[in-house]
Amino acid sequence: MKDKQFWIVLSGLIVAFLIFWFAGQPMFNEDRVVMFITIVAISATLLYNIRMAKRGETFYLRPIPGLKAIEEAVGRSTEMGKPVLYVPGIMDMDQVETVAGVIVLGHVARMTARYETSLNVPVSRSIVMKAAREVCRESYMMEGRPDMFNDDMVHYLTDDQFAYAAGVNGIMIREKPAACLYMGKFYAESLILAETGNSIGAIQIAGTASQAQIPFFVTACDYTLIGEEFFAASAYLSQKPELIGGVRGQDMVKVAVISVIILATLLRFIYETWGVGFDAIKLLTVQ
Amino acid sequence: MIWKRQIPILIVAFIGALTLFGWFVEEPNIKAFVDDDATQWYDILASFAIILGAMNLMKMQIQKVARQKKGWPYSIVAIFGFLFAITAGFFIKGVDDSVAVWGAHVTTEGTLFKWIFDYMFTPLSATMFSLLAFFVASASYRAFRIRNFEASLLLVAGIIIMVGRVPIGSLISSWVIMYIIVLALGIGVNTWKKDKKITFGVVGVGIIIVTVAGMMTGWPLDKPAIFYLPIIQEWIYYYPNVAGTRAIMIGVGLGIFATSIRYILGIEKSYIGE
Amino acid sequence: MKALEDLILKIGKVDRRWIFLVLAIAVFIPIIKPIGMPIRATETTKVVFNTIENLPENSKVLVSIEYSPSTKPENHPMTISILRHLFRNNHKVFVTCLWPDGQFMAQDALKQVAEEEFGKVYGEDYVFLGFRPGNEAVIKGIVSNIRKLYTVDVYQTKIDEIPLMDGIKNFKDFAFLFSCSAGYPGTVEWVQYAADPTGVPMSSGVTSIQVNEVMPYVQSGQMKGVLAGMPGAAEYEALMGQKGFATSGMDAQSIAHLVIVLFIILGNAAFFIERKRSRKY
Repeated sequence: MKDKQFWIVLSGLIVAFLIFWFAGQPMFNEDRVVMFITIVAISATLLYNIRMAKRGETFYLRPIPGLKAIEEAVGRSTEMGKPVLYVPGIMDMDQVETVAGVIVLGHVARMTARYETSLNVPVSRSIVMKAAREVCRESYMMEGRPDMFNDDMVHYLTDDQFAYAAGVNGIMIREKPAACLYMGKFYAESLILAETGNSIGAIQIAGTASQAQIPFFVTACDYTLIGEEFFAASAYLSQKPELIGGVRGQDMVKVAVISVIILATLLRFIYETWGVGFDAIKLLTVQ
Repeated sequence: MIWKRQIPILIVAFIGALTLFGWFVEEPNIKAFVDDDATQWYDILASFAIILGAMNLMKMQIQKVARQKKGWPYSIVAIFGFLFAITAGFFIKGVDDSVAVWGAHVTTEGTLFKWIFDYMFTPLSATMFSLLAFFVASASYRAFRIRNFEASLLLVAGIIIMVGRVPIGSLISSWVIMYIIVLALGIGVNTWKKDKKITFGVVGVGIIIVTVAGMMTGWPLDKPAIFYLPIIQEWIYYYPNVAGTRAIMIGVGLGIFATSIRYILGIEKSYIGE
Repeated sequence: MKALEDLILKIGKVDRRWIFLVLAIAVFIPIIKPIGMPIRATETTKVVFNTIENLPENSKVLVSIEYSPSTKPENHPMTISILRHLFRNNHKVFVTCLWPDGQFMAQDALKQVAEEEFGKVYGEDYVFLGFRPGNEAVIKGIVSNIRKLYTVDVYQTKIDEIPLMDGIKNFKDFAFLFSCSAGYPGTVEWVQYAADPTGVPMSSGVTSIQVNEVMPYVQSGQMKGVLAGMPGAAEYEALMGQKGFATSGMDAQSIAHLVIVLFIILGNAAFFIERKRSRKY
């Protein structure tokens, strides 16, 4: 109960919802109430931890080698006088992974601005191109190097998956970047990119939540951010307390999810074996 | 500054909250927005945005040719391909209106666009995808090393899946696998005890047991099933793989949710460069 | 012994282009001269087959095509076999595409199976609705009101003028869905936005890479089996008793997998020899 304000607001919201519920819940889809409660509970947990972090509470973050290596990779490119290649995946901005990839790009752009290393960002969607450009422009401005930024460092290749892979491979072979970073949503082109990067001797770091591509990246890259590590990258790289608080909140939710899985399994076992209780799976299934 | 900071954050917060909580609301207009309109609006915007991308592509390629940068002849091919596809899509059908009207010409046999698809796009796409086979070979050759216990587990599982998934796997008898296991056990015992006598003893006893059991049962190809490769690979696919996949799915789902909440609440502002 | 170790070490350091060459030869030979290895159907493939087999005659089945020419060798044989099975059992087939390239693939498959093999009548036995942009929005549109989304078919004929479309309003009017998918949008989106919320049974055919992603849905019963990559397609051909491209491709894939395993073994042997020698010094 460290944050009284939070608990007062949350209690108020719960009371308001209960009144709404007992008043006949107009326009509310009651089949989805379990999902609604879950979303509110998860949001509250995240918010609570974010507020705690903002108030100065320190949280331990497990070191992620892949994120530490990003700065090393940029440094290596600087030493070798070669560019850094950043691939933000092949999907559009409506995919959270692409958004996460563009966020990490902002941090990478700050590093390349600081180290005065050239950055090459080929993209496969026009909206991603615009978003990535804005992020890079801001990063270079914040590092006090707007002169180093030019629009063409983020450039469009094609929307087509394999034509894009061919285009990026061509850039790799011609420019021989010292570091290749793949952060976003990937499909079958992942191994084509990562193997070509490997063949030119670049240090490679990947981050994706695309499950099917994780084994390919693990095999061909030096470091891989798997799933949620990738989404937490922004918090790690910025070290902003509110983002770090969010990561801790995420872990809290994960503990709750694990508990629910165990409990639901037990309840179902009891229900199916002895017919005692209720079907937990039916309750948790959202229509 | 308000246009580049507050307004975008407000739009993200409003549309995000509407999309998230609109899912629970039984109101036709909100439902229509959440289910159809929001995504379609995005697609319409993205369709127009392709012009930006195309212009950027052309600018980069023309610059490359003009400045004769490394690999500039390829840029000529890119420019030509771009113009050719536009011509086939919008200006020259290649057939009469009686054969195909504009729009349907894209998939109609005999049109220029279909020709591009069949004889240029299809083989080029297939070539790029087929590169995967070669890259899988070189990547697995390099990466699958018995460095430690986890790597060995990965290697064994990988080989079982690779061989068990294809018909040749079903031709390998369970008994062959059992002999291989006995030999592997021998290696393990040798590494542990470092005594040749014990190793030979274990391997010898193992071989005798397997041989006697085989002779007694008549060496059936797929029995005992737990040593039959297609069965083992199905089990790996169905249980350890699904368990791992589900764990990643939950983690990814939470990551996506946390990121979305940070956007909606305006905590994460990196997308506008903050 | 030392000479053998040296040879293995040499192979261990071989340029990757040699691996590519050996693999290419290993794949090429069985394609030219097929061996004809026996194909054993896995449980997931049998489930797909039995689900379609148990559909009552004249069932309305939605087939969604979500792949491009790049994955044609894996996905196309599945589409062909599924269409054969559906037409053989006299079902009514409705074809949609979530990928623009899928329209070309669907057209090719329908021409081969519906027109040439079965002589089915367009508009009475099958309808080709074609591609609509919008990814998940298209699925949601089919679930809520297919007539709002598709006012004309792929040949620009009005939906209201197609006899087979009578009585089709939304996804619940279909008895079964088969999604032949190579990525996004595809099988996962069909499960999440259509099959699971409505309870309409579905199966899918996916590329080998995707199998990991869809397996949890198969195990939980949200999908009725899955055709897993080219082996899945070959297994379905075997169950149908009609050999096709996938069956002939399985010999090449078998040999290719064996070659890769051989390279892995050689690579490990080289790794151990190197480690042993480095310890010595």
